[in-house]
Parts: sequence; C-alpha cells; structure tokens
Amino acid sequence: MEQFVVTTIRLSAPLIFAGLGGLFSVRAGIFHIGIEGLMLAGAFATVAFGTATGSVWLGILGAIAVNLILSFVYWLLIDRFGADMIISGLGLTTLCVGGAAFLMNALFNKRGSMTSAVRLPQPVVGPQEGLLAFVSELSILAWLLPVFVFIVWLLLRRSRLGLQIAAVGEYPYAAEAAGVDISRTKLIAMLITGLCCALAGAELSVGGLAAFSENMTNGRGFIALAAILFGSLEPIRTTLAGLFFGLADAVGINSQIYAGESNIPRQFILMIPFIATMIFVTLRGAFAHRRHSGG
Amino acid sequence: MASAEIVLRCEEIAVAYGDVQALQPTSLAFEAGRIHALVGQNGAGKTSLARVLAGIIQPAGGRYWIREEEIRESSVQQARKLGLDIVHQRFTLPPNFTVAEALELVSARKYAGAFYSYGALRSAWLRELRRADIKVSPSAKIRDLPIETNQSLEILRALAGQAQILILDEPTALLSPGGVERLFARLRQLRDAGVTLLLILHKLREVMAIADTIAVLRAGRLVLPPTEIAAVSEQRLSDLIIGEGASVEGPAGATETRESDKTRTVNLSLAGVNTRHSETEPALAAVSLALESAEILGIAGVEGNGQRSLVDVLTGLMSARSGRVELLGQDVTDLKHHQRRTIGLRAVPFDRVTEGLSLPLALWENVTIWNAENFRRSRFGPLKIGAMREAARLALEAFDVQYESLDQPAGSLSGGNMQRLILARELAQGARVVIAAQPTRGLDFRATQYVWGVLRQLRQAGASIMLVSSDLDELFSLSDRIGVMRGGQIMAEYAPPFDMQVIGDSMIGAAR
Repeated sequence: MEQFVVTTIRLSAPLIFAGLGGLFSVRAGIFHIGIEGLMLAGAFATVAFGTATGSVWLGILGAIAVNLILSFVYWLLIDRFGADMIISGLGLTTLCVGGAAFLMNALFNKRGSMTSAVRLPQPVVGPQEGLLAFVSELSILAWLLPVFVFIVWLLLRRSRLGLQIAAVGEYPYAAEAAGVDISRTKLIAMLITGLCCALAGAELSVGGLAAFSENMTNGRGFIALAAILFGSLEPIRTTLAGLFFGLADAVGINSQIYAGESNIPRQFILMIPFIATMIFVTLRGAFAHRRHSGG
Repeated sequence: MASAEIVLRCEEIAVAYGDVQALQPTSLAFEAGRIHALVGQNGAGKTSLARVLAGIIQPAGGRYWIREEEIRESSVQQARKLGLDIVHQRFTLPPNFTVAEALELVSARKYAGAFYSYGALRSAWLRELRRADIKVSPSAKIRDLPIETNQSLEILRALAGQAQILILDEPTALLSPGGVERLFARLRQLRDAGVTLLLILHKLREVMAIADTIAVLRAGRLVLPPTEIAAVSEQRLSDLIIGEGASVEGPAGATETRESDKTRTVNLSLAGVNTRHSETEPALAAVSLALESAEILGIAGVEGNGQRSLVDVLTGLMSARSGRVELLGQDVTDLKHHQRRTIGLRAVPFDRVTEGLSLPLALWENVTIWNAENFRRSRFGPLKIGAMREAARLALEAFDVQYESLDQPAGSLSGGNMQRLILARELAQGARVVIAAQPTRGLDFRATQYVWGVLRQLRQAGASIMLVSSDLDELFSLSDRIGVMRGGQIMAEYAPPFDMQVIGDSMIGAAR
C-alpha cells in the first residue's frame, strides 16, 4: 500500500511539473505540443550537466538554461515568424528527441541510455513506519510539489500576470485594449513552461533512477497536455488529473508485477494507463457536451 | 462658449494603413465638458481618428494634444494617464472572466498589486459598481451579462480610471431603443459632472438627440469642423455625410403600397415550434407564424430573445423538438439546410464575417461554392471553374460589389461590399423565401439604403422576406407587419402605422 502511494507520487510528479508548466502556455493560447520535447531535453540536460559538474543542482540549472533557450526559439518561431504552433511544436519535440540521443553519443559515447553520476537528494530513505512510509525514497522535488502547486495557483489565479495571460489566450482583443503586450506575455508564459519542464525532466531522470535513456519521457509530455485539458485549464484540477494519470500508471506497473507468470500479455498491461486516460477524457468530454447542450 | 477650455486638439493628423490613406491630414479641436458627435459613413475615418487619440495606433503624421500636453510617443497608457479613455464598439471584457477580474484587467484603475486576494478585489469593484448604480454581482461571468450591462461596465472601467475625456465608438449600435435612452441619460449626467464626451455615431436622429456639437468626416476628410448642433440643419448634415447632390431616399416616407390582394400564398410557416434553449438564448416556445408572398415580416426584439433560434430553426441549422416547418408547401421540418436551399430558401446570416463568408476564400468561391454541384461536367466529373467564375462575376456585377479581382479573399472587402457579396450569392438567381438577419448591422448610410432597396425589390417581385433586426427604424420603414419576440415567443404582432413607444415597450415587456 505505502509502496503503491510512493509509486503514484513518483510517477505523477513529472506530469504535474510539466502539466502546470504547460498550463501557462495553454492559458496564453499556445497549445504547447513541444512539452514532450522540453521534458526530454530537461531530463537529458540535468544528467549531462550533473555528470559533467558533479552537482545535481548545477545539472538542474543547466537544464533550466537549455529549456529557456529552446522556449525562446519556439517563441521566435511562432510569434515573430508566424510559424504554425502545432507543427513547430512537433518539430521542437523531434529536435529534442534526436538532439538528446546525438549528444549522448557525441559527449558521453553512450548509446540508448546512460547512468547519471548525480541524483536528487531524498529526505527520507529506507523502510519506515507510519506516515513516513508514504514518502520514503521520494526526491526533494516531489517533496516540494505542494509548494510548487501553490505558487502556480497564485501566479495563474491570483496575480496580475495570471489575468494578463488568461486575457491573451482567451480574448487577445481585451489584452490589447488594456495595453497588455501580447507577444511579451506569451514569451513569459512560454519561458515559465520551459522552466517547469526542466524540473519535470529532472524529476524523471534523477528523481529516482539516476539515469537517462533515449525517449525516456515516452509520451508523458502528451499525457501532461491531456491533464491540462482534463483539468479544464485550472491549476488544481490539472494537478488532480496529473495524480490520476500517475495512479493509472502505477496500477499498470503493479499489475505487471503481480501478474507474474499469468497469461495476460505484458503489452496489454502497459496499455492500461493509456486506455484509462482515453476513457476518462472521453467520458469527461461526453459529460461536458451534455451539460453544454443543456437539458 | 467662446473661451471654453480645449481638451483635445489635432493638427494635421493623418492615418494610413499600408498604402491606404484612411484619414487625410485633419485639424480640429474639442471643448471641455460637452458632448461632441463625430459622424460619417463607414470608412470616413472616424474610428481611425478615435484610435489615434486613444493611443492605439500611431498617426502617419501630425501632432496632437490631450489636455494641453503634446503626445509624442502615443500609447494606451499615456492617453489614460492624461485622462482619455475609449469605449470600443466591440467590448473589451473577456467573456470567461468574472466582472471583478475583467474590470481589474481592463481598467486603468488597479485595485490589486502584482498579487491579490479575490475577496478584496471583489469588494473593491463592488463599491465601484454600486457607485455607478450597476446592479450586477462582481462574481458574475461577463458572458452571462446582457449587452447593456456589458456596455455600462465598459463605461465604468473607463471612469474608474479617472477618465475626463471619454470616446465612445458607436455606443448605440447594439442597444435596444430603451437602452439607448438610458445610455444617453447617463452620458448627460457625465457631461454635467464635467466629463468631455466624444461620440462616434451613425444615425442623425441620435446625434440630434444627444450632441452639443457635431463634426463630419467624409472619405477621410473633415467636411464640417465641430459646430454647434443648433447651427446646422438635418438636411445639410445629411448632404455633408453623403456628399453634395447625391440624393438617397431617406428611411422615412418609404412606405410604398404593397402589391396587395392578389392571390397571396403562404410561402413559409411555423406551427407550434419548440426548440431546446441554446447557450445564449431561451428556447422557442410554441412559435407559430406564416409568411405570405410579397410581404416583409419584421421581427423585433431585444437581442437574445430567441431571434437566432428562430432563424436557425427556419434555415435548418437547429432542429425543432416539436412542431412543423413548411416551406413553399412542403413539410421541411426534418430537412437539412442544403435541402431547404434546394427547395428555394435563401438566408442572409446574422454575422457576415463569421457566418456569411469564408474570409480566406476567393470571391468567386464564396459566391458559387454552395451550388458547385450544378457546375459539374457529369455526375462525378470535375467542376467547370470557368463557368463558376463567370457566374460569380455576373452576380457580383448585378449587385454592384466593388472588387479588384475575383481571386481576392473575401476578407479584403469592406463591410458594405461583404454584405453585397452575400446578397449577390443569395439573391442573384431570384429568390422566393428570404430570411434576412440583421442585414444592415454596421453598414453605413449608403450601403444600408442599398440593402433596403434590394429587399423592397424582392417584395415587389413577390418574394416572402423575414427581416430580423434590432434597428427599429429599419423595421418600420420596410415591414408590412412586425412581430415582437421576447423570451422565445412571439409576444405580439403589429400592423402599420407602427408606434415606436408601443413596440419598444413590448420588446422589454414594460406595462404602460
């Protein structure tokens, strides 16, 4: 039971970091499909800088720097050069997938995966009694999740910047009339997304395992986007959606363990979280539709 | 008034969009504490001038002063700091925001710092709402509010920012007659409190009712500098707006007798139609009506009372839960829009930009795409593009659309020409049943006259026309009968002579 909760939190944390980060862009009107790539870039850059410097903190700083640059380039493409946000977002993801694999090979002479020399501190480790058992072997970033959620909520729902971001996304005309600089607001939102995706990537690569492997995000960026939509673009609901998707993932992993030698194919069990996601999103859409058309 | 303070002064202000000169160098000045009207046709440069003054766009040349201060680097913030604010024709409050959030975002008056508590924000703006006597909860969503409240909030957000000079861009365009009266009363109060008002208006009747001075722009030139309203006659103003010598039949006195008592037939009817309520409108409740040949049935009502559902149910965009729709003798209740078109229904939709046209498509595509099937060589053969273009050209010419090339996107046309294009598409081959929804909204005087002329001709030719409009002048001058919609029902039907007061009261449900 305790182990299951820990697994859920560990699997949810990257989704929540990426989901809440992506929320800034989505609320600003950018359907940020590059989140997947930014997460992967964050994961790799943390391992790369961390291994090179021997400090996990410098690793995370490096990852943040890389993601800010990538986000800025993405902003240039869609805001300054008018590129299509979906296509260039996909391009960004592809660039990150290929770029990480290439650099891993070029810099560390590794193929497929590499171990990290550093790892995030885990405040509580080993077998524990009582409540502490629920947080054993969680990284410091996972511990900080509640603070992170609160900050995001504050920024999006209780700050002037949050109002401006929402206005830019929902009704740019209002933002313009209010004298809000639309391009600048989008840039800020996208930089925040990049920063949060760096944290998501770091949690993924050095939160538990201390390793990086090619394409280790494995669609989590897209799941984070689903969490945003599932959470109706609200920070708290997006967090809950992230937890739900993490839970579905944990169920998949657990049943994989307990299924053991049973004849359920392993591939089927790996599908569970994705099927659960699809069912949930569909149900939610159906209910939203019914409410919409009234009755 | 000779020595009154000048609060707004322009010298040789010009505006250009790309190669198009929207406003020729113009000099004028406005006195403090009065209501100034700025009138002119669409494209005369009124809105361009207002947008320069409000700091939204940069002038192409010239200098201007707000309250004695010369503006060098114009910006919305700068104008607001000097006490000038603008209420746009299109509302600026984001639909999904609460009232308090929207006001906080858009107003120059900020109650919150970088971070805020929602409770404090709510009570701060509640005080402002009470002071302005606007009865709405600060937690209500903007999209749930009626247009009139929305406009009051726009004025509030400007005044909360300490605006001393307020520009209103066509503030009456979306209001009901009662709403216009209440707006004018409020504007007079503001003037008496010392606020300078600059109103951009279309209708002379409204100018005469509210303004102290009037200035006229025509084709980007100032043809009448701000002049005391008492010093000019309505006839002269109308000449100035339209251009000398161009006589256009006025809205009044346009009641030619209708071709009556021939064997008239019912071309379109609804019998006991009910619908589901939509996002913005109540459900239609047991609506019955009959539209005969050679008549214009006007539908009046405050917006959002079921007019859109009525049009949608007639055109087949919305299905009736119960009841029956008949078109030219056929039961079309279960037929889709294109099937009804085949039988002979034509429609001018509410919004020419979002519903009436595909803006990125070329003109000829917009005109012919709906019956492209008729331009096939064989059942599955390719389209005869040449024939389609030719048909489009003829239709556009017949309706006098001003265009440069058949290939230009529809979005590049002016509002008046867009509407002509829609009329050309719908009516070029003659029409027997026409639903016209707000066909002249936002059009200038001349374009409006044109649309009215087309509708009258159609009636003369025996067509049945349903005219949905929130412009009572329009309804009065065209309709043979007027039905008033309220709460999804046709509450009453009136025959000429129409009484503005009676119909206005019926629209808002006021007992008298």
